[in-house]
Amino acid sequence: MLRLPTFTYESPATIDEVLALLADNPGRARLVAGGTDLLPNMKHGIEEADIVVSLSRLPGLSALAELPDGGVSIGAMMTLETLASHPTVRARYPSLAQAVGLVAGPHHRRMGTLGGNVCLNTRCVYINQTHFWRESLGYCLKKDGSACHVVKGGKRCVAAASNDSAPVLMTLGARLVLTSQARGERIVGIDDFFQRDGVQNKVLEADEMLLRVELPAPAAGLHGAYMKLRVRDSIDFPRLSVAVAFALRDGAVHDLAIVVSALAAVPQRMRNVTELAEGRAPDEGLFEEIGAACFGQCHPLSNIDGDATYRREMVPVYVKRALRAAIEGGVSS
Amino acid sequence: MRVLSFRLNGDDVHIAAPDHWTLLEVLRYRAGLTGSKQGCDKGDCGACTLHVDGKSVLSCLTLAGEVVGREVTTIEGLVSEAGPDVVQDSFDEAGCLQCGFCQPGMIMAARQLVTENPQASRDEIRDALSSNLCRCTGYTKIYDAVEDACRRTLASVDSPEGPAGGAEPRAHRNGVGGMAKLDEQPAGEAS
Amino acid sequence: MAGGIERKVINTTHGPDAPHGDFTRVGQRARKIDGIGKATGEAVYTDDIVLPGMLHAKTLRSPHAHAKILSIDTSRALALAGVHAVVVGSEMPVKYGVIPWTPDENALATDKVRFIGDEVAAVAAIDEDTANAALALIDVEYELLEPFFDPHKSLVQSEPQIHETDARGQPYKKGNISKNVLLEFGEVDAAIDGAAHVVEDDYVFHGTAHAPIEPHCAVARFGSDGVLTLWSSTQIPHYVHRALARVLEMPAHRIRVIQPHLGGAFGGKSDPFSLEFCVCKLAMKSKRPVKMLYTREETFYTHRGRHPMEMHFRTACDAEGRVTGVDSKILIDGGSYSSFGLVTTYYSGQLLTGPCHFPTYRFDSTRVFTNKPPCGPKRGHGSVQPRFALEIQLDRLATKVGLDPIEFRRRNLQAENSQTVNGQTITSNGYLECLDVVEEASGWKDKRGKLPFGRGVGMAGSMYISGTNYAVYPNDMPQAGILVKLDRSGLAQVYTGTSDIGQGSSSVMATLVAEELGLRLDQVRVIAADTDLTPVDLGAYSSRITLMAGNASVDAGRKLRKQVQAAVGEHFDIPPQQVMLAEGFAFDREDGERRITSQQAFELTETKFETLAATGSYNTPDRGGDYRGGTIGASPAYSFTAHAAEVSVDTETGEIKIEKFWVAHDCGRAISPVQVEGQIEGSTYMGAAEVVLESHDVYSDESHVEAGLHRRPSLLEYTIPTSLDTPEIDARIVESIDPEGPYGAKEAGEGPLHGSIPAVANAIYDACGIWLTELPFSPGKVLAALRAKQGETSAPSPNGKASADTSVEAIRARLAAAKKGKS
Repeated sequence: MLRLPTFTYESPATIDEVLALLADNPGRARLVAGGTDLLPNMKHGIEEADIVVSLSRLPGLSALAELPDGGVSIGAMMTLETLASHPTVRARYPSLAQAVGLVAGPHHRRMGTLGGNVCLNTRCVYINQTHFWRESLGYCLKKDGSACHVVKGGKRCVAAASNDSAPVLMTLGARLVLTSQARGERIVGIDDFFQRDGVQNKVLEADEMLLRVELPAPAAGLHGAYMKLRVRDSIDFPRLSVAVAFALRDGAVHDLAIVVSALAAVPQRMRNVTELAEGRAPDEGLFEEIGAACFGQCHPLSNIDGDATYRREMVPVYVKRALRAAIEGGVSS
Repeated sequence: MRVLSFRLNGDDVHIAAPDHWTLLEVLRYRAGLTGSKQGCDKGDCGACTLHVDGKSVLSCLTLAGEVVGREVTTIEGLVSEAGPDVVQDSFDEAGCLQCGFCQPGMIMAARQLVTENPQASRDEIRDALSSNLCRCTGYTKIYDAVEDACRRTLASVDSPEGPAGGAEPRAHRNGVGGMAKLDEQPAGEAS
Repeated sequence: MAGGIERKVINTTHGPDAPHGDFTRVGQRARKIDGIGKATGEAVYTDDIVLPGMLHAKTLRSPHAHAKILSIDTSRALALAGVHAVVVGSEMPVKYGVIPWTPDENALATDKVRFIGDEVAAVAAIDEDTANAALALIDVEYELLEPFFDPHKSLVQSEPQIHETDARGQPYKKGNISKNVLLEFGEVDAAIDGAAHVVEDDYVFHGTAHAPIEPHCAVARFGSDGVLTLWSSTQIPHYVHRALARVLEMPAHRIRVIQPHLGGAFGGKSDPFSLEFCVCKLAMKSKRPVKMLYTREETFYTHRGRHPMEMHFRTACDAEGRVTGVDSKILIDGGSYSSFGLVTTYYSGQLLTGPCHFPTYRFDSTRVFTNKPPCGPKRGHGSVQPRFALEIQLDRLATKVGLDPIEFRRRNLQAENSQTVNGQTITSNGYLECLDVVEEASGWKDKRGKLPFGRGVGMAGSMYISGTNYAVYPNDMPQAGILVKLDRSGLAQVYTGTSDIGQGSSSVMATLVAEELGLRLDQVRVIAADTDLTPVDLGAYSSRITLMAGNASVDAGRKLRKQVQAAVGEHFDIPPQQVMLAEGFAFDREDGERRITSQQAFELTETKFETLAATGSYNTPDRGGDYRGGTIGASPAYSFTAHAAEVSVDTETGEIKIEKFWVAHDCGRAISPVQVEGQIEGSTYMGAAEVVLESHDVYSDESHVEAGLHRRPSLLEYTIPTSLDTPEIDARIVESIDPEGPYGAKEAGEGPLHGSIPAVANAIYDACGIWLTELPFSPGKVLAALRAKQGETSAPSPNGKASADTSVEAIRARLAAAKKGKS
């Protein structure tokens, strides 16, 4: 069997205990929720820890709560399965329900959590391999080495953000509530949560944990959708993903947001599309223009299996399909 | 190393295992329950699927410590004094057990579906089983098996005896049968 | 073989009829004899075996694609607490290979390594973690050699040699060539050059893996009595037995090989493997039982999967659509070792000569070595790749002639009771009925050429062997043997060397013996694949078991039936032939009220004769052409299959969706219809996966450090289909009742894979007018082909469908093409 490295397992019953373990073992403790990302990575030697801290016994982190502003707060430990079928989420943020319902396969969604998916490690064909494989390669700069094999001579890791939740959360303007023993709670806008470094693409500090995800109240007439390019209809990570959201009022598009992901370390928010679409009718002509605008901004790399040229070519196709899907079905109620 | 106390197939057990072991490793190497299979080591194939508190999970990605105080049911635990579970029997009846290696996991996934949604459509069945890879069957007869288990479950709910204990196992068409091969394994020497 | 000994002629066939009029067991939709044990988790697979004091072993593998080993130092590993034994290649220097003419493998590398993942050393320790830790303490010094990843380079470049010498110890003369076969039947060039229609194209078939869900595993025990026992997830216990004796330099009678339940193989467990030798050697050194279980990654290095082939094909027909000749030239990428490669090279040509009749034929196939995981036999060994090329060529010819593809195939039938151009004997042939069935079931006539753009139907046909005359090592002994013992309890015990790898062979043996002796299936138990207990059978490969071991089963059962009939006849005072055995009873055929149980019948029989047991044997009739290699691919009987597929092509994304397959397979007689359907469904599923999803591949750009590394060594990356990716499959059985098979049965396990791939290619042509020739059919290739087609001047589309020139897709495609041109 492919073995886990040795570590000590802890399963505290309070958040304070979790934060203390993180604070007392700087950089040497890892949190585990569903385990579907961390454990394969540990078996591959990509992630290491002296202590693995389970969050499964923490109370109160898997609930959805209404916020005074009409938005919702979702506990980081809510499973993807629960989230995908949650009536409130399906009614008010259908693109989020749709996206997390497309994560991996049903067992992964039953085990995996929203927090785990938001914090998913970046992925690359040169890193998600066993230690033997990576040693044969000579390692890479994400772990144990200094060279990038995707961008020859590159000094910054371009492993791809591969979480299905993140692009949708970006289109919905999510805020993340983080906490640590040293600094207490802080709120980070999701765009600011990710950073352009595949080694550590989150601003989450080593002593910090994600408590919950907050979504603002859906705008009147909010439409949204998520599209995922993958080889199989289950299990696979995205080779390209597109989230769109906009408000449709009086037959016109407002506040269009598009995020394309599975490109590099950060889900990429498309520039200029809001202005391009503002106040216009959602017709094929508009979708064509928006697709072209996104195509120009996206440059998939060979960091993910599947031809990069093809993945790029699919950007406008998937943007258009997401826009159509948002019009047809993805309305908040 | 710690002692893990949990409920395993209806028994309270206390099993010592290192912290970094998965539930699959504890079951196969410590508890002597080898029905849950390991096929991929990392959640890609579903052969290790079992139930924790009635829900299908991948035991190769479940740290053993996570099940302390919880209820674990493996493929062995589906068999009752009345015999194999209706889902196990339907899989045999449908002829979908070729090499059989993926089937403990597949059956556990199917068992949850049949419990929760015995009126599942073919598409719902396909969805529910899509974490479990089968390399032999092309899945066709597996759908037949799950549909059969659903039908039998619904029929038993409607029957005067009620649904208790699941559906009645169907008479084995071949008689009791079985293979002598099992006896040829060094089972007597197994720890 | 043995001087002066005359080979016993075995009555190989027993006729297609039931022993007593109607079949009682054969043809029933019975459960498998081992089904419920698999469903309950009771079935014991190799990794489920735990022996007292058992150690766990791990393999150290080469991180280099091609290198000399200068030194190996295991002292630090041996010094680690918990390590009990370490083994290296020099301790097992004898080379082996499943084909005796090409022994080029070592249990562990001796002097050099030939691919990333090649086995270098093995450690046995108290647990897996300790064994893994010990691997890191083995110091190996390598000297790197120039690697070969491109088969074209291997074709011409001789230095350095991947294997220094061939099996005869001779240096290879030219290139790094594993095997070349050139065979010509009739005047091919004249037949093609003068023909009314010729199609000529290049085809590429990529590498694919078996990916059974059970990884390879082996457990060995070396008893203090000097007997070595190996439990292994093998599909060829007999060949493993022989290979162990050879490599361990031990008498074969001190070795026992047992195959427990096996979690899928598909040809991928039909070589002797490093782990089998290593656990044995480690058990002998440590005097402790030893288990080794490969990780999923290691199974991709062990490989033996489908050979990548580059194929040039020319096929011609006359104005009426009768094929006049077929000419192929094939380059086969064998990877780093020979494995079954000699046979693969022959099969790439020899198995193609039906169900389409070839008046003339030439094939020129060359297998080369490269520094990649070794290729071998995968379901449909050797012939799936050229079948893909040929069946597309036949459709292209049909299009040129203006014939419906099904009609074209009817016109070119290699009929029953005939000889193929390469000298193979066709006995039964249900192909015409297969064509009729899929034509009807698929709604072909309403669909072909009539579905909207982007949707289409296509078909393909194929033929496959039911075992082959060519035993892997030359000998005159039976190819299949069986022992049936009748017990006073009323039980029949069947001792068979056959490997049930999930295909259900043990259930087939039980069914045949039950039929002969009039028993219920629960009155038969099968003891299989244990070299101490069971007579030799050559194993689960070449689709040989049902026909060969099945005939042996009938042979043994019939001998015992005659004894039972004689004894019961005497008891009833009626002629023996008036005694009927059925459903666990012996009857007077004339008076059904007169009956005794099988148990009573067996007691009477044992009283009259002696302890009751009979052996059964099978040898193939003389078959094959009278030329070198003429018996390779010569089978007692051939199965036939027709596939129809309906596909939709997303012309915007290039994605192909296979909507449904209709498959009709002629298996002679279905001993177990449920199992035959299962084989049709499983084969078709596996072929469909090779069209779009699966690709076994290594990085091949020599200038990059990743060169030689496997691209997808996991079940996440090597994407075998989930339930959501598998098309609906409508499996139909056609029964031609073959004179050679047991009760007329032929194979079902491999034939129904072949046509699934070209049927999709041909359906894509029907859907959108493009011929795809390079597998896998990735969306990018589909888009490129669509663009190339739209780039053509507005030629009429094949079926009179509106050309897509004015569609949004076409406009977008032209814009994209124009953009590309500018940049």
